[in-house]
Amino acid sequence: MNFELSEEQKMIQQSVERFVQENYDLSNRIKISSEDPGFSKEYWSSMAELGWLGLVFSEEDGGFGGNQIDTLVLMEQFGKGLVLEPFLANVVLGGGSIKRGASKEIKDSIIPSLIDGSLQITLAYAEEQSRFDIEDVATAAREENSGFIINGKKSMVLNAESADKIVVVARTSGSQVDEEGITLFVVDADAEGIEKENFPTVDGLRASEIIFKDVKVESTSLIGEKDKGFSILQAVVNDAILALAAEAVGAMEVLYKDTVEYTQQREQFDHPLSDFQVLQHRMVDMFMEYEQCKSLLFRATMETVQDPSLSQRTVHALKHLIGKSGIFVGESAVQLHGGMGVTEELRIGHFFKRLLVIDSQFGNADFHLDKFTSL
Amino acid sequence: MDINLSSEDLAFRDEVRSFFEENKIKSGEDYFSWRLGWFEKAREKGGWDVPKWPEKFGGPGWSPTQHYIWEQETAKANIPFDLPFGLGMLAPILMNYGNQEQQDRFLPDIRDRKVNWCQGYSEPGAGSDLANLKTKAVLSDDGTYYTVNGSKIWTTLAHVADWIFCLTRTDDSGIKQQGITFLLFPMKQEGIEVKPIITLGGSHTVNTVHFTDVKVPVENRIGEEGKGWTYAKGLLEHERTGLAGLSKSLVELEQLKDNARSIQRGNGNLMDNSSYRSKVGELEIDLLATEFTELRSLASAAAGGEPGPESSILKLKGTEIKQRIQKLTVEASGIYSSAWGDKGVGPSFAKGGTAGYLNSRYFTIYGGASEVQKDIVAKKVLGLTKGSSK
Repeated sequence: MNFELSEEQKMIQQSVERFVQENYDLSNRIKISSEDPGFSKEYWSSMAELGWLGLVFSEEDGGFGGNQIDTLVLMEQFGKGLVLEPFLANVVLGGGSIKRGASKEIKDSIIPSLIDGSLQITLAYAEEQSRFDIEDVATAAREENSGFIINGKKSMVLNAESADKIVVVARTSGSQVDEEGITLFVVDADAEGIEKENFPTVDGLRASEIIFKDVKVESTSLIGEKDKGFSILQAVVNDAILALAAEAVGAMEVLYKDTVEYTQQREQFDHPLSDFQVLQHRMVDMFMEYEQCKSLLFRATMETVQDPSLSQRTVHALKHLIGKSGIFVGESAVQLHGGMGVTEELRIGHFFKRLLVIDSQFGNADFHLDKFTSL
Repeated sequence: MDINLSSEDLAFRDEVRSFFEENKIKSGEDYFSWRLGWFEKAREKGGWDVPKWPEKFGGPGWSPTQHYIWEQETAKANIPFDLPFGLGMLAPILMNYGNQEQQDRFLPDIRDRKVNWCQGYSEPGAGSDLANLKTKAVLSDDGTYYTVNGSKIWTTLAHVADWIFCLTRTDDSGIKQQGITFLLFPMKQEGIEVKPIITLGGSHTVNTVHFTDVKVPVENRIGEEGKGWTYAKGLLEHERTGLAGLSKSLVELEQLKDNARSIQRGNGNLMDNSSYRSKVGELEIDLLATEFTELRSLASAAAGGEPGPESSILKLKGTEIKQRIQKLTVEASGIYSSAWGDKGVGPSFAKGGTAGYLNSRYFTIYGGASEVQKDIVAKKVLGLTKGSSK
């Protein structure tokens, strides 16, 4: 067993760390987030140039052949700056779906442009009624002539505002909650019949509700086999959970360290706040939660790299702990910062919001506890 | 002991209910004129416009049970909004420590909801350690006015307030609880600058307020110079009871259950989900207990005057309960809890639910952070001297 990163991974880690330090102070983040398209195109190009967008694609597809550990390295550092650029939507969700089952033709038409930053993609999976159940898919794809007609509505689609392509999860057979009968398609984001309602999210990112009305797709746009899309979706969602957990761990580190620093500076009752034992213990708890999340993140990521068919239970455990501990660390950081913690003026509030959003994505703490205990 | 309401109390409850029913806002009616009219009619009922004021000052002189009934019914009914600053916070101080002239000057306008007050207590360096305040008030050589310089923070609704009641420092030679002077002055004057603070929920309620050479006539001082801390302290205990908001929480809990039931899961709804239901259940159990802690506290207050340090329990439990309701609303919203702004996707309660949760983190901070509340309980109730508030 070895927890050391490779030399290449260490170099990437340092390079992302530097990028975050140089570009992601709070005021710059707020500025980028408030202007369209909600992230910096310049940063996105830099990320492409530095090779970050191609890390986890196979060499055959034009990437560097990395795995979920490389994503962990990136996302943990992104988490320390609350990076806005749509890495998750593009590389993990959209790109992750394409690389897992698309034809060579589709891969060739998408992955190289994704890696060089010229094309944006996302994944539309959730629906109004589905809550956290990814197999609950009502959006229907009806076979017609040589293709399919898609009708339905997708919810909380990340980065759809900027996406050129959308991977859409649709039902081709079975009942609404069957795993069998789910099919993934890739469609042009500006295809006829697609209507988007864009809005900001709590953490300063962007999402959309998307209506598909008689959207025509060729059968060549299918990803993987018809009716067999669930296993691809599940694998993509697991990758997304690992990526978000890494980001959350980065965010939790900032929160506990900022709190330790603040309580040493802030004086009340003629003492630094850090003198008070009740606050010390709360910070020790924050630190413990952070370390435990990091351990389970390593465990789930390494198990998934080893054999994804055996890691499902640990992935559920991870998302449960990240949700619960992330909110604990966020709430504690706010509490220990006092009134200032509840304002937009300090960065901790923004980190807290991000952790809150992470809990609500791909299943919250309760959802994954249920899944974990039922496996 | 008897849990049943007496027939008099039941009659009172019916009277309250029918008053609310008869004076509901009519469709098309102007809200603000309805509001003032409502308080007018409440006054005619015998001080119902100022339920918490003592009879001597025009209050209704209710029993603790009647107060409890009133709280319960107001939480359920649609009655006009009211602000606590003048009515609940300043008025008791004026009644106890203000002179006749000050009472005559300020209480009627407070009662008529004519003047909006804000509270100038916390400062950048004086949060939980409120006595550490630095805003300076210097008496003029002729002894006719003070000149105030300094800053206040977390001043709720300072941007719409007409007047402020303010703790200032007139002497820093002794211990910090001494040398504090309680002043009243208008907000709309030169030398006062109000800056908004935007909270995590994206709203503007609190502010920073800066004073530069603000002149305050001595007749606007409550009580003696240097004794302001004593006057404010009793009020803070008042504030701590008022912050529990349990009747409102009971109503919100029912709303929470309704919301959760509206989220369909399989053949049932979110309340059928065992982990969610357990959390709602634990919350309700805490609320049932805390409601009776409040009743016991009210009863002892009625027997012995001012609410004592046991009111600290109520703020601790009450604020935590409010936060849990908000958190469970966020959880019920599911994926939609991360949507922000006016678009309002997902169930109707999701919109604003997350903002409400984020702002609710303030509940365990303002009016004395929970950690400080526990220090007070440890010291005053349990008699433990080695607390952290040295």
